[in-house]
Amino acid sequence: MTDEAVKPAAFGGLKSRKSLSWLFQYVLLQVLIAIVCIVALRHPLSAPPPRYSVTAFDLQDRGTTQSVTLPDFVPSRLSMQEPASYTGSFDWSEGEARSAWSVYLPRFTNGVQVTVNGVEILDSRRDPSANRLDRATPEIAVIPASLLREGPNELAIRLFVWGPISGFLDRVYVGPDAALRPFYGQRTLLFVNLPMVFAAWQGILAVILIVLWSVRRQEWAYGALAAAMALGAIQAFLPTVVDQPTFPRLTATLIASAPLESGFVLAFGILFFARKWPRYGALIFAPGVLLVLVGLFGSSGQLGKLFVVVGLPAIGLNLVLLALIAAWSELRRQDVPSLLLGCAVTIVLTCLIHDVLAVVQILPDRRIFFTGLSYAAMVIAIGAGLTWRFARALNQVDGFAARLVIQVREAEEKLKASFAREEERARAAALARERARLMRDLHDGLGGQLVSIVALSERGEGGTGIGDAARAALKDLRLVIDSMDDIGGDLMLALGSWRDRASAQLRPHGIALNWRAATPQGLPVHPELRPWHVIQIVRILDEALTNAVKHAGATQVAVGIDTFADASGFARGSITVEDDGKGFAIAGGGDELAAGGDAIKADGDAAADGETAGRGLRNMRGRAARCGAELELVSGAGGTRVRLTLPRRFPDSDAVAG
Amino acid sequence: MTPSSDEGPARAITILLVEDDAPTRWRLQDALAKAGFDVDAAATLTEARASLAKRVPRVLLTDLQLPDGHGNDLIRATRQRHPDTEIMVISILGDEESVISAITVGATGYLLKDAFPTDIATTVHDLVAGHSPISASIARFIVKRTQASVEPPPGPPLNTTRLTPREIDILWGIAKGFSYAEIAGHLGLSRQTVPGHIKSIYRKLEVHTRGEAVFEAVQQGLIKL
Repeated sequence: MTDEAVKPAAFGGLKSRKSLSWLFQYVLLQVLIAIVCIVALRHPLSAPPPRYSVTAFDLQDRGTTQSVTLPDFVPSRLSMQEPASYTGSFDWSEGEARSAWSVYLPRFTNGVQVTVNGVEILDSRRDPSANRLDRATPEIAVIPASLLREGPNELAIRLFVWGPISGFLDRVYVGPDAALRPFYGQRTLLFVNLPMVFAAWQGILAVILIVLWSVRRQEWAYGALAAAMALGAIQAFLPTVVDQPTFPRLTATLIASAPLESGFVLAFGILFFARKWPRYGALIFAPGVLLVLVGLFGSSGQLGKLFVVVGLPAIGLNLVLLALIAAWSELRRQDVPSLLLGCAVTIVLTCLIHDVLAVVQILPDRRIFFTGLSYAAMVIAIGAGLTWRFARALNQVDGFAARLVIQVREAEEKLKASFAREEERARAAALARERARLMRDLHDGLGGQLVSIVALSERGEGGTGIGDAARAALKDLRLVIDSMDDIGGDLMLALGSWRDRASAQLRPHGIALNWRAATPQGLPVHPELRPWHVIQIVRILDEALTNAVKHAGATQVAVGIDTFADASGFARGSITVEDDGKGFAIAGGGDELAAGGDAIKADGDAAADGETAGRGLRNMRGRAARCGAELELVSGAGGTRVRLTLPRRFPDSDAVAG
Repeated sequence: MTPSSDEGPARAITILLVEDDAPTRWRLQDALAKAGFDVDAAATLTEARASLAKRVPRVLLTDLQLPDGHGNDLIRATRQRHPDTEIMVISILGDEESVISAITVGATGYLLKDAFPTDIATTVHDLVAGHSPISASIARFIVKRTQASVEPPPGPPLNTTRLTPREIDILWGIAKGFSYAEIAGHLGLSRQTVPGHIKSIYRKLEVHTRGEAVFEAVQQGLIKL
């Protein structure tokens, strides 16, 4: 077959050995399909018993008379007038059968008028389907019993030929209706009903594709295929009325629309498989458009000739190109649609070549055109291919959606994390800015004034109380500002500053600060630590320090920083402030610092100091409770020890205020 | 602690004290004079410059907010013209905002305005002896700047890229309240080398020239060219 011969030449340049072997397999498959096709095409159709056939006729055509044996051809002509007239006879005897007799004509082109004993019993031109050259419509007619005579009966057949191809009359059968009708039914099913079913498929496919294309306008391939399918469906259902067609030109044009249809199919192939429209792609439609123009404005004779000269080669060329595209696509992608289409095109091409050979009478025996029928293979292939692609696209969408869900979830997590980080950073930055602003304000205003007070009180007499107060105020100010700094949850950083302040506070009193951190790390890091926690803790330590300085008369203050594992193995920090002062009594269930301790009396104003100390202890407990810390206070003759055990986790709010 | 009696016989250390608040100035001057220092006092930038022109002090103590200008200008000029002069900032709160900016122009420590007289004298003595004091909060500020951050943190610009990991470790120790001895112990150093490291830290944080300042500002993305 010619298409098989073209493919290897076109792909001869392929380098890959694998591709070559694959190409070989593909071509082999196509050859196999073509062979199967040929076998099927050449398979004889079942026929009634030969004894009912009538083959010997006298042909009277264009003034000449001759004896012929059916099947027979007559030259084409453009006029309905002067039909070829076949005259023959058959024998009928009344005794032979009581059943009805029929005349059965399996195949003829283009129209027949049958007369038995001078009475017309059949005119195929009234059957629209029978008038279609591309359909091998059989005809059967019951011979009215009154017409039949004992012995030989005259059978006259007038063969009408119009259009470009020669007339043909296959063997004629005359016999009992019961013997002939099954064969008629078989042929009708095969050559009339089946094409209609395929045309219906085409129509459905056309509707689906039109919907598809209207939704996805960018998919021109579907548009082209929809046009091809719609054209094919309309053409198939169009009734062919020879005598009085309503729109004769339109009808003729539609029947000659096959080249245009094949052009659309090729356009689909190019767009679908190559995904690139060639520069002169519009030329595909040139033969089809030419035929339409001639059909609409020229004569039917011109149209017929043009169809044979231009239309058929165009169809053939389009099919060959489509076969090449399918093969190329299959070679590249090795997907189902390419393979299906490639096989279908091979089938159609084989049938087309068969039909052309039949038309030019190289294969003269039957003159049944199979191209239209084989086109069904293409419709099936296209439908299956599209469905396959849809299913795969759906799978891809599913996979994509699943992947997307995962990705979106991951992105969400990341976003959440980065959001939290960003929020944390923004919070820290805002805090730092606020602190810087506050510090500037305090530095310029309150701080300077307090320093002046300190200086003035030192110069004046008896102003030490004011000086101390101002100094305490400054110390507190530094504490507040210091606590606002972002220390990243490391309380040690706050204690470092506190150590500076504490030693400055103790130095004038001649009290030594004995600082001991058990490990370089010191305390566990608490990411949840907030400035207000720091202030509470440092104030507790300050309170303990102040007690040591003011009331205990200590000479040394030891600060111990430790990390220990609690009952459930959790690392917890503890800070201990211990002085070697006189200590004081603790009453009221440990809740309150009772008045009457030696340290307090030593300072003179026992009642007032007792109250101050009591308030101090209450404050310490309250602050510890707010932070979730545990405060342990042991006081005796050897000194006072305040042990602050940090919580596992600092509370978010100070709702537990004591 | 009685530095006055210790330092008395030695030649008095000269100090220029620049402070605009009169009570504070008197107080500091008293404290330093009682400790045996030879103190010149100035209330404004102009007075300070005039005093510098007459006599170059061993130590410059200056406030930052002055009526006729900023103390940093004085620090920068003094650092350039008289590299031997030790410079300290007098700060009210010891906050990084003021202290760090002073360090970048050449100061090597700060003095709190309300410090007790004995502490004032001790600090100046330590400074002259080569021990630049550094507080926990200043150390904390510096080490925080050594940590990678997307946006420049608030506060004065500070280039910490020249600090060595060891110096940063020392700063961490100070920020957490460890003594020099403890830091030396943790890091496997000799206790005596710690003050030298701190002095080195100060020097590395200093921005020497205007050009360098611009360069470093560009490096840190503070100025966009």
